[in-house]
Amino acid sequence: MEMVYIAAALIIGLGALGAGIGFGLLGGKLLESTARQPEMANQLQTKAFIMAGLLDAVPMIGVGIAMYLIFVVAG
Amino acid sequence: MSRLKKAITYVPLAKWLTIEMAALIVLSLLWFTESRLAGYSAFIGGLIFVIPNAYFAHRTFRYQGARQVHVAVGNMFRAESIKLALTAVFFAAVFTLMEPVHVPALLFTFAVMVVLGTALRWLIRPRPQR
Repeated sequence: MEMVYIAAALIIGLGALGAGIGFGLLGGKLLESTARQPEMANQLQTKAFIMAGLLDAVPMIGVGIAMYLIFVVAG
Repeated sequence: MSRLKKAITYVPLAKWLTIEMAALIVLSLLWFTESRLAGYSAFIGGLIFVIPNAYFAHRTFRYQGARQVHVAVGNMFRAESIKLALTAVFFAAVFTLMEPVHVPALLFTFAVMVVLGTALRWLIRPRPQR
């Protein structure tokens, strides 16, 4: 049964790691490109927002599966 | 500076929510044909995505413009963390407090709504407006 908790921890942990790296790069590039071209700030923010949606899709599903493992399979 | 570049970005949150809720109701009705339990589990699975996602969209566009970009990026990070935490809390609450739950309907509808939400952001983009 402990393996289920380890699996859930891996799913959440690796998902969070990927999302963290992705958001860090995305935010950094947004700041950098806005500093280069301040007049494009709104359009860049919109593009970053759309990319954020693509970034967090997989971790979101991972959280759902991990909660299922913790509360239904192991619980 | 052109008119477009000075404009404030309008977030079509109401339009996104309307389409998402319509799709969610259709999906729930499809699951409802299997059983009543599957129908309401599917509806709750969709709501688990829709509520944190609406919060994320609302908070990301609270600040706009080049002067506030550092605040906007900080807000985006916080909104994402809160969105993931809210999703985990909602799933935990459903799995512990709701008995019984049709798990395939719940997770399938959640996954479909995640894909639909991403596609909606792409198709109906926030647009600059005066």
